[in-house]
Amino acid sequence: MGPLLSLSQFWFLCETVAGVGMFLFQAAMALPPPDPQFVLRGTGAPVNTLHFCCRNQEQDKPLLFSGSANGAVHVWNLRTRRTESVLEGHGGASVLWVQTLNSRDALISQGRDLRVCMWDLAEGRSVVTDSILTESMGFCQCSLLDREGGHWLLAVPGADMAAVRVLDLPSKTPVCTLKPDAKLGMPMCLKLWQPDSGSSPLLWAGYEDGSVSLWNLSERSLLSRLACHAEPVMSLDPGKLRGVSGSSEKAINSWTLDGQQSLKLQDSVELVNPGISHLCIREDRRILATAGWDHRIRLLGWKKLKPLAVLQYHTDIVQCVAFSDHDVPNKRLMAAGSKDQRISFWSVYNQI
Amino acid sequence: MAVIDDPREAFGSLRPVCVLLTREPTVHNVERLRTQLQGLSDSALQQLQEYILFPLRFALKTPGPKKDSQLLAVVECVAYVLTSTCVQSWELLRDLFSELCVCLCSPSNPGKPAPVSEELKTAVVQALDALLHAAYGDIVLHLFEPPMMPALGLAISLLLELGEHEKSRKLQTAALKCLQVFLLQCDCSQLHRSMNEEEERMLGRTFASFLPGITQGLSRVVTGDVKQGHAVTVSAMRVWFKTVVLVMDEKQLSKDKEKPVVELGRVGELMVQRTKEWVKDTGGKLAVLLKKMLACSSGHRHWKVRMEVVELSSHLLSRCHGTLVDSISPLLEALVGLVNDESLEVRSRCDEVLKSMAEQNLIGGNQAFIDILSENLHSLTTSLPRLMRSADDQDKLSTLNLFLGYLKILGPRVSAVLNSAAHLQRISKALMQVLEMDVTDVRIVEERRFHNEARGEQHTELLERATQKKYFRYFTDERIFALLQQLCRVLGYYGDLYLLVDHFMDLYRESVVYRKQAALVLNELIAGAAGMNLETSVGQKDLVSQENLKAAVTSVTEEYTSLVNWHLVTTSVESEQGDSTAFSQSRLLSITMSANTDYLKSSAGLNPTIGLMNSNIWQICIQLEGIGCFALALGPQFRLLLITALYPVLEKAGDETLLISQAALGAMRDICKGCGYNSLKDLINQNSDYLVNDISLNLQRLSQHPHTPRVLSVMISNSDASLLPLVVDIIQDVLMALDHCYDERAPVFCVVLHSLIGAFAVRWFPAETSSRNECRNPDGERDLPEEMTRFLLDYHRQRQVAEGNAAEEAELEDTEMPPPAPEPDDSEEGPAVKPELPPHISIAKEVMERCIHLLSDKSLRLRLKVLDVLELCVTVLQSHENELLPMAHRAWPPLVQRLTNDDPLAVLRAFKVMCTLGETCGDFLRRRVSKDVLPRLTGSLVKQAPVSARAGPVYTHTLAYKMQLAVLQGLGALCCRLDLGKQAAELHCALLICLHYLSCRQPPKLIIGCIVFQHLIQVDPDSVWLTLNELYCPNSYEPKHSSLHAVQLSGMGKQRNEFTENILKLLQEMQ
Repeated sequence: MGPLLSLSQFWFLCETVAGVGMFLFQAAMALPPPDPQFVLRGTGAPVNTLHFCCRNQEQDKPLLFSGSANGAVHVWNLRTRRTESVLEGHGGASVLWVQTLNSRDALISQGRDLRVCMWDLAEGRSVVTDSILTESMGFCQCSLLDREGGHWLLAVPGADMAAVRVLDLPSKTPVCTLKPDAKLGMPMCLKLWQPDSGSSPLLWAGYEDGSVSLWNLSERSLLSRLACHAEPVMSLDPGKLRGVSGSSEKAINSWTLDGQQSLKLQDSVELVNPGISHLCIREDRRILATAGWDHRIRLLGWKKLKPLAVLQYHTDIVQCVAFSDHDVPNKRLMAAGSKDQRISFWSVYNQI
Repeated sequence: MAVIDDPREAFGSLRPVCVLLTREPTVHNVERLRTQLQGLSDSALQQLQEYILFPLRFALKTPGPKKDSQLLAVVECVAYVLTSTCVQSWELLRDLFSELCVCLCSPSNPGKPAPVSEELKTAVVQALDALLHAAYGDIVLHLFEPPMMPALGLAISLLLELGEHEKSRKLQTAALKCLQVFLLQCDCSQLHRSMNEEEERMLGRTFASFLPGITQGLSRVVTGDVKQGHAVTVSAMRVWFKTVVLVMDEKQLSKDKEKPVVELGRVGELMVQRTKEWVKDTGGKLAVLLKKMLACSSGHRHWKVRMEVVELSSHLLSRCHGTLVDSISPLLEALVGLVNDESLEVRSRCDEVLKSMAEQNLIGGNQAFIDILSENLHSLTTSLPRLMRSADDQDKLSTLNLFLGYLKILGPRVSAVLNSAAHLQRISKALMQVLEMDVTDVRIVEERRFHNEARGEQHTELLERATQKKYFRYFTDERIFALLQQLCRVLGYYGDLYLLVDHFMDLYRESVVYRKQAALVLNELIAGAAGMNLETSVGQKDLVSQENLKAAVTSVTEEYTSLVNWHLVTTSVESEQGDSTAFSQSRLLSITMSANTDYLKSSAGLNPTIGLMNSNIWQICIQLEGIGCFALALGPQFRLLLITALYPVLEKAGDETLLISQAALGAMRDICKGCGYNSLKDLINQNSDYLVNDISLNLQRLSQHPHTPRVLSVMISNSDASLLPLVVDIIQDVLMALDHCYDERAPVFCVVLHSLIGAFAVRWFPAETSSRNECRNPDGERDLPEEMTRFLLDYHRQRQVAEGNAAEEAELEDTEMPPPAPEPDDSEEGPAVKPELPPHISIAKEVMERCIHLLSDKSLRLRLKVLDVLELCVTVLQSHENELLPMAHRAWPPLVQRLTNDDPLAVLRAFKVMCTLGETCGDFLRRRVSKDVLPRLTGSLVKQAPVSARAGPVYTHTLAYKMQLAVLQGLGALCCRLDLGKQAAELHCALLICLHYLSCRQPPKLIIGCIVFQHLIQVDPDSVWLTLNELYCPNSYEPKHSSLHAVQLSGMGKQRNEFTENILKLLQEMQ
């Protein structure tokens, strides 16, 4: 019998074996991205916005509110993973934004029927107690800020194309109207913010022309403006003194606010596919999640904007992401709502 | 005879007789006295008592030998007097007592009974009995005072002798009963004087002297020959325990302030001082006797004896538990062992006793009791495995009954006992060993679930079936298993659930050897903790809180359904599947495809792991049963657990192994019951969101969850059309997943698609029976003359029309029936307006699309499956011709490939699909069939005809035969459906071919298979007739009129040949 393998064949084999070994090694090192923990279906329409309410749960009933394009706000019980109730208050017009006021019993929702509705959900009720006309036809979400003593500030896109109105709740008295001098286009996203030091609340606004502005509410003045995107700003999250914004282009930008109250571009991450519809920094400021037009959810380390994972499940544009506010950190979930009418839940980086 | 009431008169009448009797004590005289006495009233008798007794006593006392008969008469008479009167003076009592005793004892040896007749002895014993009953007031107590002790002792020893050694049962029982009377605890109906404490104590003290004699003698009786009858045993036991209770009564002894000993002389020596040492000593001796007695009696065949054991235990335990310390353990054991007795009376009495003991807080308040009980339990569990291995079923039953009894009697203190690690260890190990299952049965592994669509009905049937019988290594009796289950439930009921679940979960994880048993135990523990299926005799107790129960259920369910414990190897088919296609192909090519291939296959898979697979199957089944049981235990609270538990159960419901799928269905049924769903359908529909969620997620990781599609198919087959809107979403996912992995997973998906479309076609949207299902041509039910007339008229007209070629037209075979009205073709209405299709139609369309692609897959098995699905798709789509026809058009080329260039099996299936297509698409296929398919089919038929004609009986097992049969059977219907009559040439061609099969040399089934002719007859009877007659014509046709030509057919005048018989049959049918 002759030699079974020629030398070259032998080396080839060795290489293959080594390659397979290497592959296995790498596979073991880099865990595959996780699957969703579970998925909620049944909204019957694209999901526009999500809001968790898991804190202070007396009855162990974590809730999630979702607003969808058919005008319904679904209240999901995350324990049974089923809808508790469906709130129809916007006459079928798409719901852009939902938020709770302090407790799970008071809800505020913004619809494209130009109304912001206040809901009373206590003791199984579901009635609209009050509503505010927004006068804006755009897609810009409102923003809410809790002031001490049962008062809230609500930022609403104004009737005038570029203006933002700020109201006091529950009195509904206007506090101010902020209108930039320069032509920035419509506001695309708003975020009210109470800095630790200064007493005056601030407003972050992202505009159609790609700029992010910071307004001082008490002085009604523009503090700073940063042209950080070439396309409209789709979403921003100010974090603390360092925020992040996403637009319809291929980049996510982070910026900082320095001592002189001026904005500086800090960092930028290039994406494969354009379009960020929503982004959100986790409460502990470690993780940034983005909802992409490419059907993917991206997770980045907030500190250095290091890409961590790409979560793939949805079959259409992901429209919103949200982190749950569970008291216990390892129960915390991330949820993403998509145009494919599903809400996916992910358990990511929550083992501390 | 009038009753004489006046004592004077009575005296007058008695005097002569008494005098006579004194003078001549003969039987006759006694009889006379007796008759006289019967005429006296009781009061008169009482007054004359001493007078009457005098001659009788005199007769007894006279010295010298007496005849038995004479004595008998005298004693009976004395007894008679005593029963009707009472003895008022102590002297009389004493004298009578001693006189009667003398009658009993033998003159030579006073300790032994006299060798007299049994009748006499009986009479004396009864007289003694009567004497004691007749004693008035407290004078009887004098009998038990120390001076009387020798006489009393003599009487007692005599009675014991009689009870022990006599042959006559009557005498034995009488003696024993009399003994009982001596204890002044007779249970006859007469009124008895109740004794005060002091008197009782006196009695007790006296009998203490006789205790050794009585107890030993009686225990000999009890342990004696079984043949002596139960009555003797029962009374012996009764006297035994009554004596013991009297002497060893705790109450007496605790207060027994020993009286200063009065100087009694020699008699004093007989007295016993019941000191502590004496009590202890006696207790020990009694325990020995007791153990002997219990060993004999607690398993006694007669229930009355066992009942007496209960009484004995009850009395001794309640009155003497402090004094008979050593006996408590055997007594409890006896009692506990009878808790589950087969006799209802014994059982209920036993329960009563135990209950009253519990009420008196005898057990609870007495740590010693618990110690003894747990000690007993420990030793029992230690010996349990050995007993279960060696003893017979009856013994096993009683051992387990005992075990159960201990648990019940310990009640809530079980948890305290279990807190001792040694106990828990023992019990669990014993259970593990006892519950070891027998996993050698091959059938368990072999039995397969059928994939047929009529399963809906089957299910209900399956539901009725009880859970699968389990086989155990160490016992076969079902009752034993039931008892073990009960035992575990009681453990769960009383024990600390958390501790138990934790412990058995550890065992479950520890080793595969214990896993099944541990799961069995866990299931019952939780059922027991919820108070399910417990016998009523179990004492009340607060149930475990729902929260704890839920926590336990959750953790156990999680463990059960975890990947490692849930996805076990249960079948060797999967590994085989890869090469099975190659294997089957080679096999199919061989001519003889024997019917036992299934057997071959299974034997091929019969590798050493069969036991393992069996064991795995059982484990899954037990776990499934457990989940069902948890649902029942937890009730509606279990609904929340459905999020995780329902999917795995459904996954198993779709398992191929029959046993598993049955168990899973059982579990589903239990879940329905527990969670309050009315039916499986409700369960599935209302929880479809959970299921859909899991399916959708798992579809993305098919390699890890290969059985995901199964869940969907189980959902489909157990629900109805209302499920469809809930799963449309997921069906899309399935189709998408199929598109992603065409190769490896396609077979799994095909199963789902098959069940889905099958459900559409058969159950959810059954097609209304369309007119297509019948043959289009009107049946030959018409009036013949009328038809003739019409035909002739028609013929005439045609002839007129076609002047020139009238000669050709005259040919009969070209004559056609008037064509039926063409199908209204609504495909013209165009795609301009496209109404939304019902979801099932669009799904069927999409599925059909996939089928078209998969039709040319390289795996035969898959192709066959796809053909099945395709056929179903066609059935579903038949109501929407606009959708069906384009799809049929696209499906045609690959289908033709299957029909013409494929494995015979595939050809067979494809032919069936084509028949269905023919039924639904009709005209649309006519040209294609006659062009692409018919020539091939007919060609092969022609080729095979001589083969089948020559072949032997084995031929009917070949595929070729089946093929022939199928084609012959289908061809007719196909021709009929496609209206091939219009293509006369094809029809004729088909006819000619089928003629081959009319030969009587063909296998009979093929000839019957020639119903093709019946169809053809409907299509074109004339042409068939002619063809048949060409081959063989039985009659000759004489022209009715000379102007007509004589009919000449080529079959006329032929010899009988191979076709004759069948042709005749057909022609007859055509008439």
